[in-house]
Amino acid sequence: MEERVVSVTLDDIHKRFDANEVLKGISLSAHQGEVISVLGPSGSGKSTLLRCINLLEIPDSGRLFVSGEEVLLKKTRDKRTVPADMKQVERIRAKLAMVFQQFNLWSHMTILQNVIEAPVHVLKVPRREAIDKARMYLEKVGIPDKLEAYPAHLSGGQQQRAAIARALAVEPEVILFDEPTSALDPELVGEVLQVMRTLAEEGRTMIVVTHEMGFAQEVSSRVIFLDEGLVMEDGDPETIFNNPATDRFSAFIKAMV
Amino acid sequence: MFSLHGYGPSIFEGTILTLEVSLASLFIAMLLGISGALAKLSRARSLRLVSQIYTTIIRGIPDLVLMLLIFFGGQVFINQLGPMLGYDDYIDINPFIAGVSTIGFIFGAYMTETFRGAILAVSKGQLEAGTAYGMSSFMVFRRITLPQMVRHALPGFGNNWLVLVKTTALVSIIGLDDMVRKAGLAAGATRKPFTFYLVVAINYLLITTLSIYILKQLERRYSVGVREF
Ligand SMILES: Nc1ncnc2c1ncn2[C@@H]1O[C@H](COP(=O)(O)OP(=O)(O)OP(=O)(O)O)[C@@H](O)[C@H]1O
Ligand SMILES: [Mg+2]
Repeated sequence: MEERVVSVTLDDIHKRFDANEVLKGISLSAHQGEVISVLGPSGSGKSTLLRCINLLEIPDSGRLFVSGEEVLLKKTRDKRTVPADMKQVERIRAKLAMVFQQFNLWSHMTILQNVIEAPVHVLKVPRREAIDKARMYLEKVGIPDKLEAYPAHLSGGQQQRAAIARALAVEPEVILFDEPTSALDPELVGEVLQVMRTLAEEGRTMIVVTHEMGFAQEVSSRVIFLDEGLVMEDGDPETIFNNPATDRFSAFIKAMV
Repeated sequence: MFSLHGYGPSIFEGTILTLEVSLASLFIAMLLGISGALAKLSRARSLRLVSQIYTTIIRGIPDLVLMLLIFFGGQVFINQLGPMLGYDDYIDINPFIAGVSTIGFIFGAYMTETFRGAILAVSKGQLEAGTAYGMSSFMVFRRITLPQMVRHALPGFGNNWLVLVKTTALVSIIGLDDMVRKAGLAAGATRKPFTFYLVVAINYLLITTLSIYILKQLERRYSVGVREF
């Protein structure tokens, strides 16, 4: 098999909220160019998994590597796990982009300002250059004419596409999507999925939590099924949809169709 | 038109002083307000406790009583402290400083509540997006929380400001020559209290009306990007 560059590696990641153990030992590597769909019932820990990758949640134990760099964690005196170096955390977050279910565009900024915010203020890209790139990415997601609009004046589908442009603008190692179409009216889902399909075809590395079975089957190169905090299935879509290894997954697919 | 019997310039000076006291107090109130709000929302229990005690005390005692307490109490306190530090002369508290710090201290508590509510009104998801894109917590505050909280804070802030301006009338009782005191002096000398207090009332009304106009403009400016219903 050819050498493939690893973008993100999780090694035995655990995460609990008080008594509720949400991730019970997740190990997983995402290679460059992979599009991984993460499926699973509500409450199975999908969002928590994504949020651990960009350290919006800090794993209790386990190791996390982002483009070869291990995230340094330490224990406090009261046994909580915290980042050892906040600067490293900020640097790593800036390498990953996140697309949220609720878009979370900054409402006091225009679409252009949203897209150049992280490049200019976090990555210190010269403003002119950031603006040129922002135009390009807004064109790519199909809203080149919304530069000066504020998020509240766009449809949900347009807002999510702007959020994808914001993600592209940091030229991330991996883009994390958390149910990017779940908050959209049904007729707007297609335009967002279409943009994501284009990104997949360009070879971008993506981890996508989704309920869109069509996307998982047709677009992703790999599907992971998460249940009760564990990876229950992991394989290419063809194989796992046709021959589920677990009853839980077959039941899950049946319920989704 | 009625005559001010030559007291016009004096009332004008008083008006300027009223404005100075108001603006200086506002400045202190805003500093205390933003610190108080951050303390109330902080993870540190001790900070939350201190700010809670601060707002509880201030909101529970009449402004006039607080002002007298701080002015006379402060006078006694400083003059007991002086000799201990080897300073024997009697120290007079400068009434301007006393007035401004008292009013600033009182309205800092109201601003604390206003700013706290405004910070809480900023969408959690948008703050999280800032964090997710690599901003430090200070940068999230400066780039996202601050510009967004202005819109939520303005109505309460405006209210506090109007009440603050009116509260400055109290500084006349600790001997500051604001427009109320100047009017009192003029009224005593000319036996025309109605004339002079009417002028003062109109001056307050001018200040507050102009303030309301400016606040409206600010509210408009800071609500860009908000969908109008
Ligand atoms: N910050 C938190 N504090 C406490 N519990 C949490 C927190 N975040 C998530 N949980 C709990 O962790 C579990 C997994 O949540 P998570 O959001 O990861 O699930 P999910 O698979 O994304 O579900 P959904 O499909 O509904 O989005 C749930 O029981 C949830 O209540
Ligand atoms: Mg979720």
